[in-house]
Amino acid sequence: MIEDRKFICASCTIGCELRVTLNSGEIVRVAGNACPRGETYARSEIKDPRRLFASTVRVTGGRLPVCPIRTKTPAPKEKIFDIAKEVAKLKIKAPVKIGQVLIHNVCGTDVDIVASRDLASA
Amino acid sequence: MADKKIDVLIIGAGPAGVAAGIGAKREGAENVVVIERDWDLGGILQQCIDPGFGLRTFREELSGPEYMHRFIKQAHEAGVEFRPNTMVFQIDKDTNAVWTMNKERGIECLNPSAIVLAMGCRERPIGAIRIPGTRPAGIYTAGTAQRFISMEGYMPGKRAVILGSGDIGLGVARRMILEGAEVEGVYEVMTWPGGLRKNISYCLNDYGIPLHLQTTVTKIHGTDRLEGVTVAKVDDHMTPIKGTERFVQCDTLLLAIGLVPENELSRMAGIEIHKVTNGPVVNDLFQTSNPAVFAAGNVVIVYDLVDNVTDQGLITGSNAAKYALGKIPSNVKKIPVKAGDNVRLFTPQYITGESDTIIYMRVTHPIEGACKITAEPGLFSRRLKYSRPGEMDEVRIKAEQVRALGDNLKEIVIDIKPL
Ligand SMILES: Cc1cc2nc3c(=O)[nH]c(=O)nc-3n(C[C@H](O)[C@H](O)[C@H](O)COP(=O)(O)OP(=O)(O)OC[C@H]3O[C@@H](n4cnc5c(N)ncnc54)[C@H](O)[C@@H]3O)c2cc1C
Ligand code: SF4
Repeated sequence: MIEDRKFICASCTIGCELRVTLNSGEIVRVAGNACPRGETYARSEIKDPRRLFASTVRVTGGRLPVCPIRTKTPAPKEKIFDIAKEVAKLKIKAPVKIGQVLIHNVCGTDVDIVASRDLASA
Repeated sequence: MADKKIDVLIIGAGPAGVAAGIGAKREGAENVVVIERDWDLGGILQQCIDPGFGLRTFREELSGPEYMHRFIKQAHEAGVEFRPNTMVFQIDKDTNAVWTMNKERGIECLNPSAIVLAMGCRERPIGAIRIPGTRPAGIYTAGTAQRFISMEGYMPGKRAVILGSGDIGLGVARRMILEGAEVEGVYEVMTWPGGLRKNISYCLNDYGIPLHLQTTVTKIHGTDRLEGVTVAKVDDHMTPIKGTERFVQCDTLLLAIGLVPENELSRMAGIEIHKVTNGPVVNDLFQTSNPAVFAAGNVVIVYDLVDNVTDQGLITGSNAAKYALGKIPSNVKKIPVKAGDNVRLFTPQYITGESDTIIYMRVTHPIEGACKITAEPGLFSRRLKYSRPGEMDEVRIKAEQVRALGDNLKEIVIDIKPL
């Protein structure tokens, strides 16, 4: 089955419109890229698209009611909403240290959720 | 008890002010004080929780708070003194006295040797675009919504329409979706999107949020709470086209329609403000029309990369320290910079030739294709693959080039033209 996918290359600010042709899920052609990095991007975007994810978690006893968190490394794109739900359940106590690991291996992705700021107790 | 004499006083502890503090200490200023009205340091970056900062400086993508954490640490180590919860409410025109207010310390009058303005910018509110209709609850600037969600822990609404496709508009669209709300669409009056293409991909396309170009909100509906908006296509003169109106049901309208440098204090101090940038007119030392007052960051011009704000802040702080230490001559040159047709804004407005300089500029209309950025007479020329209003371009001029031309250099003309 031949399938065409279109997306923007995010490897540099030019943002070429990539057109990828797939045959039964295998890449047969990448077009629209102005340089070789576009092809690399297209391949990773098809095979294993990943994104950094950020949100906040509830904090008790802190200067702010929430603390920002992020995935330490990019997580699989299709797991982002699962991760969002997992993070939404979390409640932590102040003080919070920047970089503190809040969830190990979130949703089985091998990716950690870390606090992205210091938050002192109120 | 009288305070020790302050050498450099900085107003605002965002990326610009924190960098200026580091720069001033590195240059040898003894007493460097940063005044901040918020209880915490970091400025607007405190609420920008998505990674994407500092790629150029640290080769990794940091969130706003993480990026600031590194610089605040450096500033503390350098011996910069921070005074949070303190507001500067006046700068006297003739004496450069700075008046501050704080709950414990009360009202104080400080007399620093040099001042750095680093108050940042503000978002344009709804009043700036005069949309007809009612004014119910549920209309916020994108930054206000960002602060509600990322710092105060509540959602502004359930179904949003976003006006403006700059990076702030795109970012808030994704934030709303990730926190469980719906985003009906992002509307942009121009024919091109304001934000980076990467952000269109990661903030909109990833979640199937449509971007409607050449379309705007023409009416607001609802009495107590927002019930919806009318959107319509606009023609090339930005006038809504009859018959294209569409009602969109939503309880939240988020405005990401631009930033304006925050210069009430600067005006009060009698500092010349540029009509187009809305920031102080500065030379390449970031010195304003008042030689003891310097300015850094978004208070001067709205930058798109915080890395640039930090770079410029460091230089500004170091120049302010030089001034305080009597190391900047009072008769510096003042060579005006002029811009070609497609240059909407730029900074600095004057070149002194005292140091190497970067002129940052923004085009009015995008050029999709090869173009050339130049500074005449013969000072700089570089090929670009494209130039877009959402991404600043840079001209670099060396002090020795300016010196070599001597008195023959009457003005510098910068331009970007398609090839
Ligand atoms: C809503 C919003 C979102 C943004 N998102 C991004 C983004 O995602 N990426 C990006 O690169 N850029 C973003 N920007 C642009 C951003 O403003 C700059 O990158 C950077 O924060 C500018 O730094 P600054 O230090 O000049 O200003 P700011 O960070 O705004 O800092 C100014 C500081 O001065 C303080 N201040 C002002 N007046 C006084 C006074 N009278 N007395 C005492 N203190 C005072 C303020 O409280 C504030 O802390 C955003 C801007 C806004 C408004
Ligand atoms: S294909 Fe190359 S030039 Fe085009 S956006 Fe990707 S990295 Fe940039």
